Formats: sequence, structure tokens, C-alpha cells
Amino acid sequence: MAFKFEPDVMVETFPMLLSGVKLTIIITLCGLLIGFVIGVLCGLMKLSKNPVLRKLAGAYVELIRGTPLIVQVMFLYFGIPMASGLRIPPLTAGVIAIAVNSGAYIAEIVRGSVQSIDFGQREAGRSIGLTQAQTMLYIIWPQAFRRMIPPLGNQFIISLKDTSLLVVIGVAELTRVGQEIIAVNFRAFEVWLTVGLVYLMMTLTISRVLKTVENRIERRGAR
Amino acid sequence: MITIKNLHKNFGALEVIKGIDLSIEAGQVVCIIGPSGSGKSTVLRCINRLEELTSGQIVVDGHDLYAADTDINYVRTEAGMVFQQFNLFPHMSVLENVTLGPIKVRGMSRHEANKLGVELLKKVGLQEKAKNYPEQLSGGQKQRVAIARALALKPKVILFDEPTSALDPELVGEVLEVMKKLANEGMTMVVVTHEMDFAREVADRVIFIDKGVIQEDGPPAEVFNNPKNPRLKDFLGKVGHVH
Repeated sequence: MAFKFEPDVMVETFPMLLSGVKLTIIITLCGLLIGFVIGVLCGLMKLSKNPVLRKLAGAYVELIRGTPLIVQVMFLYFGIPMASGLRIPPLTAGVIAIAVNSGAYIAEIVRGSVQSIDFGQREAGRSIGLTQAQTMLYIIWPQAFRRMIPPLGNQFIISLKDTSLLVVIGVAELTRVGQEIIAVNFRAFEVWLTVGLVYLMMTLTISRVLKTVENRIERRGAR
Repeated sequence: MITIKNLHKNFGALEVIKGIDLSIEAGQVVCIIGPSGSGKSTVLRCINRLEELTSGQIVVDGHDLYAADTDINYVRTEAGMVFQQFNLFPHMSVLENVTLGPIKVRGMSRHEANKLGVELLKKVGLQEKAKNYPEQLSGGQKQRVAIARALALKPKVILFDEPTSALDPELVGEVLEVMKKLANEGMTMVVVTHEMDFAREVADRVIFIDKGVIQEDGPPAEVFNNPKNPRLKDFLGKVGHVH
């Protein structure tokens, strides 16, 4: 029997995917919010004069960056409960996985951006009597943050797509919902096409928002 | 005002400053000249501890910079610094550049600081640029803002690290003009410079540093017209100032 494209299936599928979209957005937002906090903390630790803090943050980044997210997710959801006897609900596990994973990459973004600020800025801050913390807060960070925006946007898009890997622990996010629909109607072509388009809509929205933010900052003048 | 005793500074295995003794009185304008790599900027940067000395002692306005109980942030406010590359804060307006120190370090109210800031910008001839951002200024204007920023903390001495070296030739004059004005007002100034005419005209004292030591130290007329040290003679010959 020849394949026949059924656009109606796509129209039917779309509303059914919305619950998955909602969960994907929630996981992405919560994960990235926590990931940002972890990233800033670890990024600053990597810049610290204290070698213990530096090594600690360095080890975290290497560990997370050097292993696949899917392995991290399964270890968190299946591995840790086996050792500790503590079951983590899938949604919580998903948020933790995205947070811990994006945190490592954001740490590198933070470190790189802060380091890219000309050393003379630090000296100028110190020369007017600001403490090291004040120099960071008023001089370095605002400039570094502007440089972080494009790579952070990139990370947002990556993390959003990464939530699809949570399918392996049964979180009912977008990809999982798509899978469940196919289990009923067997229309893999139409359903995956729709799922893909929905992801694209979300990532394009992020790109759009970022471009607006970047433009606004540029218009306000200053590097 | 500033007393330096037996200053030594190493960068790794390289000894850059090999024992410098120097005493600068309040109100003096001291120009430090010398070939590049002579260590003159390093001496200046040690005076507000942007560079850590290897051994020796530096006392600024009665504060031993390396004493355990010295608040280095406080001492730095007493010794303002003007950099070769201006180092203005690009994300702040000209006025904010000037008022940041008074507000955050001196605890001045924003209103008070703005008044002071406008006054200082007027002094360097840039009051109409208060709301502009550094990138909208010329090099000479940037450096004048940097001078206003240093003045905002009402320092007892201002250190200038080659303040005109990064400027286009036609912009050097406006910066030197502002510096002259400060000198005439009695500000204590230590200026590392290649502007020999400025040193000759404005300085009370010219110090020639080469190979990490002070080779000659005296009033400009003497240093420029009657150099004794062969290295100084050679240096002045190269920069075209033999008389």
C-alpha cells in the first residue's frame, strides 16, 4: 500500500500536543532559571583566587560536559534511587537534569564573558577606591552580562530541545505526547512532522525575543 | 606626600625595578621620563598598589601601603589614577563615570554627586557631554573625563600613566591644557610622560628612570639643558631634545 499524506492528522494532532508543550516550557523555564543560578555561581567560582573553589567548579563543568545528557537523566532517575532508596518524581528529575546540565554550560559562558572584559576596567574600578566586589558588581558584571546574552540565548534553545530526551523517564513533555499519539494512530510521518514544527515555533520565538533584546541594548549605546 | 624606599619589583625572574628611593612633596608636579621598558610606569602603578611591589616601602600621605592595617581602598581614593587607555566605563554615561566613586566610595547622595560631577566636567570643558556615552567622545575628551573621574574623589595626588600616548597628535593639547590647569591649582601630580615640552614647562622636577633605577633627578632646566648622565643624554638625543 502506497503512503498517503494525511494533513488532517496534523490538524487533529496539534491540540493534543498542547499539554506536552506546556510541560516542555515549564521544564525549560524552571531548569534554566536554576541552571542560570548554578552557572553564575560556578562561573564566578572558576574565576576565584581560591584554588579549591576553582577546581570544584572545574570538575563539575568537565563531568557534565563530558557525559551525555541522556546518561545523566537515567542515572538521576534510575541510578540514584537504587542507591539511596529515594524516588525522584519524573518531572522533578527532568528539571534537575536540565538545571544541572545547562548550569555547566552557563558557567563557561559566564567565565568567558567576565574574562573578556578588558583588565583596565578592573584597574579603573579599583583606582577610584571600589572594593573587588563593588568593581565586579558595578563595572565588570553589567558589561559581561551584555556579552552573555547571545551565547545564553543559544543555550536556551539547546536546553529546550534537550527536554525531549526526558522521554526516557516518561515525563509527558512534547516528544512523549507525540509518541503516545502515534501509539494510537500509527501516523508517524504526520505526528513527528507536527511535533518538529511545534519545537521550531518555540525556538524561533526565543530567537526573535533575543534579537529584540540585543537590538535594544545596542540602541542604548555603549559596547 | 609620597615616600618610596628601596623599591624592588620583579616580574617572574625579571627584575624591573632595582631599588628606587623617591620622596615627593605636596604640590609638586613630578614628571617621570625614560625609554619604554625602563620601569617608569611600574613605579607609578606601585604607588596605588595596582602593582604589588616585591620589596621596599611606599608611604602615601602617612599610610604605609603594605602595612597590615592599611585600607588599600581608602588609600586609592587619595591617589587618583589616569590611564593611558582612559579606561572609562563604557556602559555608563559621562556623568555616571564621574559620580560612581563619590556615590559608592564616599557615600555621597546622588544629587550631591551630580552637582560635583557637573562642576568637574565644567572644569575639563565637557559639561555639555554629561549625558553622552564614552564611545561618543574623541580620545582627548575621554581622557578629560577620566581626569574628572579621578578628581571626583578629591585625591591628594593624581598619578598619570602616559595620559597622552594613546591620543591622536591633534588631541594631545587639550589634555595637557587641563593638566596644566591642575598643576597651577597646586595639585600634587606624578606624570609618566613622553611629552618633553610639557615636562619642561610644567614640572617642578623631572626624574629620568632607566634600567629600573633613577638615573637623574632635578629641576627641568637642569635635566634638559645640562644632562649629566650619559644614558639621559642619549635618550634626549633620541627624542630630539638636546639643547
